[in-house]
Amino acid sequence: MTTNVPPDLERKMDEQIGHYPSEQRRSASLPLLHLWQEHFGFISDAGVNWIATKLGLEPINIFELITFYPMLRQAPAGRKHLRVCRTLSCAMAGAYPLMENLARLTKIDREHQGAGMHNSVAVSPDGEYSIEFVECLASCGTAPVCMVDDVLYENVAPESAPELLGGSLSPGTQHPPPHPLERRLVFKNIGREGYTTDIDCYLQNGGYEQLKAAVKMTRAEIVNEVKTSGLRGRGGAGFPCGVKWVFIKPDEKKPVYLICNADESEPGTFKDRYIIHQDPHQLIEGILISCFALNVHTAYIYIRGEFPEGAKILARGIEEARAHHFLGRNALGIGFDVEIYLHRGAGAYICGEETGLIESLEGKRAYPRIKPPYFPAVLGLYMCPTIVNNVETLCHVKHIIAMGGAEYAMLGRPNNTGTRIVCVSGDVVRPGYFEIEVGAVTMGQLINEMAGGPKEGRKVKAVIPGGSSAKVLRADETFKLKNREISFDEIPMDFDTLAAVGSMAGSGGVIVLDDSRDMVWALNNINEFYAHESCGQCTPCREGSLWMKKITERMLAGGGVTQDPATLKNVADNIAGRTICAFGEACAWPTQSFVDKFPDDFAARAKKPVPPPLPPEYTAEELIAETEIPSVPLAHDPGWEKAGAAGTV
Amino acid sequence: MPNDSQPQLVNVQIDDVWHQFPKGTRLIEACEQAGSYVPRYCYHKKLSSPGNCRMCLIEMGMPKMGPDRKPILGPDGKPEINWMPRPQISCATDVSEGLGVRTISPLVEECRRGVMEFLLINHPLDCPICDQAGECRLQEFSVEYGRQDSRFLEHKVKKPKNVVLGPRVTLDDERCILCSRCIRFCKEIAHDDVLGFVDRGSHTTLTAHPGKRLENNYSLNTVDICPVGALTSSDFRFKMRVWFLKETNSFCTSCATGCNTIIGTREDVIYRQTPRENDAVNSTWMCDYGRLNFAYLERDRRLLEPMVRTENKLQPATWPHAIASAATQLKPYVGWQTAILASGRMTNEELWLAGRLAESLGVTLIDIVPRTGEADDILLSADRNPNTNGARLLRLASGSGTVLQQIKEAVWSGQIQALITLGENPLRCGITPEYLARLPVYVVLDLLANDATAQASVVLPSLGFAEKRGSMINGKGRLQRLNRAVRGPGEARDDWEILRDLVQAISGGNSESHARSGRLDTIEDVFRQMSEAVPEFAGLTLSRISDLGVQVLNGDGKPGNSAPEKMREREPEKQPQ
Ligand SMILES: Cc1cc2nc3c(=O)[nH]c(=O)nc-3n(C[C@H](O)[C@H](O)[C@H](O)COP(=O)(O)O)c2cc1C
Ligand code: SF4
Ligand code: SF4
Ligand code: SF4
Ligand code: FES
Ligand code: FES
Repeated sequence: MTTNVPPDLERKMDEQIGHYPSEQRRSASLPLLHLWQEHFGFISDAGVNWIATKLGLEPINIFELITFYPMLRQAPAGRKHLRVCRTLSCAMAGAYPLMENLARLTKIDREHQGAGMHNSVAVSPDGEYSIEFVECLASCGTAPVCMVDDVLYENVAPESAPELLGGSLSPGTQHPPPHPLERRLVFKNIGREGYTTDIDCYLQNGGYEQLKAAVKMTRAEIVNEVKTSGLRGRGGAGFPCGVKWVFIKPDEKKPVYLICNADESEPGTFKDRYIIHQDPHQLIEGILISCFALNVHTAYIYIRGEFPEGAKILARGIEEARAHHFLGRNALGIGFDVEIYLHRGAGAYICGEETGLIESLEGKRAYPRIKPPYFPAVLGLYMCPTIVNNVETLCHVKHIIAMGGAEYAMLGRPNNTGTRIVCVSGDVVRPGYFEIEVGAVTMGQLINEMAGGPKEGRKVKAVIPGGSSAKVLRADETFKLKNREISFDEIPMDFDTLAAVGSMAGSGGVIVLDDSRDMVWALNNINEFYAHESCGQCTPCREGSLWMKKITERMLAGGGVTQDPATLKNVADNIAGRTICAFGEACAWPTQSFVDKFPDDFAARAKKPVPPPLPPEYTAEELIAETEIPSVPLAHDPGWEKAGAAGTV
Repeated sequence: MPNDSQPQLVNVQIDDVWHQFPKGTRLIEACEQAGSYVPRYCYHKKLSSPGNCRMCLIEMGMPKMGPDRKPILGPDGKPEINWMPRPQISCATDVSEGLGVRTISPLVEECRRGVMEFLLINHPLDCPICDQAGECRLQEFSVEYGRQDSRFLEHKVKKPKNVVLGPRVTLDDERCILCSRCIRFCKEIAHDDVLGFVDRGSHTTLTAHPGKRLENNYSLNTVDICPVGALTSSDFRFKMRVWFLKETNSFCTSCATGCNTIIGTREDVIYRQTPRENDAVNSTWMCDYGRLNFAYLERDRRLLEPMVRTENKLQPATWPHAIASAATQLKPYVGWQTAILASGRMTNEELWLAGRLAESLGVTLIDIVPRTGEADDILLSADRNPNTNGARLLRLASGSGTVLQQIKEAVWSGQIQALITLGENPLRCGITPEYLARLPVYVVLDLLANDATAQASVVLPSLGFAEKRGSMINGKGRLQRLNRAVRGPGEARDDWEILRDLVQAISGGNSESHARSGRLDTIEDVFRQMSEAVPEFAGLTLSRISDLGVQVLNGDGKPGNSAPEKMREREPEKQPQ
């Protein structure tokens, strides 16, 4: 491995460094690591040192990153690198058999990949292939999916592994026409025949007219329209966008930053990727209007690393927009300077959390910040006021300008205005995306009419309505609202009702599980996701997420003890509400709700008596293997004493 | 902020009682001051607050506001509190008016139990072989806040053990609770960003970059602040259980900073020195060099008995004989034939008596030997003598070095017939064995045998900094007291007693100083005598010098209390631009 960095590569690096304020070179860490890996195939020790020196950092600062972001490799991959999504929707659609087939065909022994977060990439003996499991690739509606290098293959049935490897499978899928119950605003052009990502196509369809209109308004007027629209964030928390924007003082002295959150990685969610891949200019226009409204001169699009094509499309879009003077110096000739830069993530879900994202953008491990005091709108990127908005949210801004806030607010329901894209995946006949007026469609309509209902002979058992972090709902439940009782099918798909029935609208990812599913299996899949994605910064989430996964894994393998459901629940209770960021809830809610709502599924896998306590007379393996386990009460634990520290530890 | 007028006080309710605290007080500190100690792992008052351990969760509430935006007052006239449903950390919030806190409640206890359990599930049960046992926060808090049973049936996460992070610090990653204190210390205080976390989630592992070691001169502070036994001092590792150690407050004498310390000893053996908090001196830190600079007290080369040269050979002698012999040999010479090399490592009391010795012999050629090195911008001073300021105040230090040069030349020329060195090796100022060979009388008071002591007429073995009491004035003008942590070896005697006896032997008990303030039976008497003559010490006694010292000089011409500026405040890692 040579450390000879070709001038062309270094020039690209310098260009990346130029995207950040000069005293914030560290921000260029991830971009440089990406460039290095693209060129050299992996990041060697020499690479760590070279990049650290280039950015004026200590090598440990870079080393911390390559071990945090799973996309960064410390060893070469195969000539073709395959990433198979293993998260819930893909797992339900056969991701595990697909992986088995791929491993068999490429003669890769996955057993030796080792446990832990960072499996070194497994390479086939001939060096041709390497494969790894990755978490949700934001294409759950076309599960199972697999990336071969930078290309996403959708609906990859396990049987088609040979074609996938042979290169005879073609990427991409069909896009069905909008369903009559849909109301397309943001997704108007998604899947549309003949619609391209070119700016000319966008302009022909009325593109950038709202930007031109917006710059004729005052800033306060734009912010006001957004406030009036009642637009709530589409990234997960549903926070009113206008309220967030008002946190930025009109006379702010520090630079204000806008960050578009394009990290879309909440399992079950796959809306932003379509916008980015098929209608980039809509997003760019939304960002530019928002920049103007908030007096932002530098905006960043934080795009997840698994969207390499999307990043290229957006980069081209930005250059096209620049060529048309929609951005850059003196954009639109109104004396307003504005730049949009792309910043690619590298495979960490926690970068979706806004303060984790900011840390990541600053070139650090994506450790979410404590709030207070680090509210992004006050102390955000580079300790400056920062607005973080989801891709879809920013697209809506364009439509609010087009319609006027008041008119927009007529869509949907009070406090749940506008349209939103719901993504249906899992056990339905026609999984996919649907843009609906918020609350105008019920759960029953969405699943049974729009998504084609459960597969033949099956019944819907459970639905996770807002991305895997949302609490699961039982299909046979009824829910008491303030003034009425509704069935599961009658739940209107809006923020407030989904909250009222004990879950959340979240990111709009609706995952359907039918009656063939074992809920312990499903929860274990989800637990694995969270154990893998916990940033590890704070105690309850770091330790609890892995513990919950270990319990469900053992239960699945036949080692469940009677106490397990209670322990699971209690561990989750000890996480939720006690962590730095909302990941704590995100990882606890599935466990809490699964155990709560499906006691029979859990009891069926938790039959063995509680074994004697530590020191473990029984290891996890023995628990699985043994059929007869004597029970001893847990009142006193001799383990500590045996360790020689009676009464301590 | 010493210049600010009265800091504003705010009312805070802690466990049902209202207290007042200055604005800006960290909540966790306020609780502690109010007697409601909140357990913590990641929080360290001198470092930034990441809020990552979650051990300090408490219940928090804000005053209920009426429609007039004023707090609604309860029957007791105090604001009513709106309690937040979720627990909050107390380590990253400052007190504010009307804040309510509960540190004792079922929810708070549940939170602590939860965190304790999480920290222990992957923690090895190493206590019997762990150096930290006895001062381990994990052990301590688990007794107080943990649950009694264990319900963890899984395998623990495996991590590296015995990682050598640097020449002085060893890491056991399985014990690490990932509080990041050590990382923050290195970055924020030592300005040497060498430690970091690798991997993710529960597999997160503390490490240094393979190509870089934790070897800065402050590395051992990470061992002090590590709340568990993950970071250990390679020097102290496995040597002694901490609960056997006797602790003595003292300060480091390896440079003019005079970092406050605790000396840990057992049966007259020093096992370690650790920093003791003093915001006017060293915050809570000390450098590795100073910390480890005590082994010489136990060297084989220690002088263990007085010796007198007879028949051209140094022979053991009794103390009275040695003192008498020194006096007899010195007395025949007049002042300009005698010189004294004193030391900036001597206590004020010793320096004072050295002054009296000079008086009794009429000596004018007296100076201390400067000792300098490179300073850092953290604690280490360029002046490696701990008491240059004392020597200056007592007029024993010329400062210019011309006197030393004069002495050297006068020894060579034969003008000087008698030389007394007090705790200094004359080689340090160029007085080599050839020079010494020219001296008819050479009296040495010192700790260790060396080339110079070999040429002495009389050798008077004395004590090291940890073996005696006495005061010094640090580089910033702070008077501090050494306390005796161990007894001296063999027949070595306290320096001040040797000097007193020598003065008395020379002046026959009629010395001026003796007449001035009576008998010098204790070192307190010496201090009293000195304080009568030196206005800076007026009103003080040796015992009255507090453990944190007393400001007596404006060090470096700067006004009083001068802790290193940046040590006083928590430096937030994420400072607003
Ligand atoms: C664990 C976690 C993951 C998140 N992931 C995403 C994400 O992938 N995309 C996103 O837009 N928001 C995500 N969010 C929400 C963001 O923190 C933030 O609320 C959002 O980007 C704000 O934009 P909005 O108001 O437009 O929704 C996540 C939050 C958490 C707690
Ligand atoms: S809750 Fe989890 S993801 Fe969030 S900061 Fe804590 S450890 Fe990291
Ligand atoms: S080694 Fe100690 S101080 Fe450092 S992170 Fe681990 S527990 Fe904290
Ligand atoms: S800085 Fe000076 S006084 Fe402090 S520990 Fe180091 S040598 Fe001793
Ligand atoms: S793409 Fe596989 S679960 Fe989302
Ligand atoms: S002390 Fe660690 S979170 Fe407060």
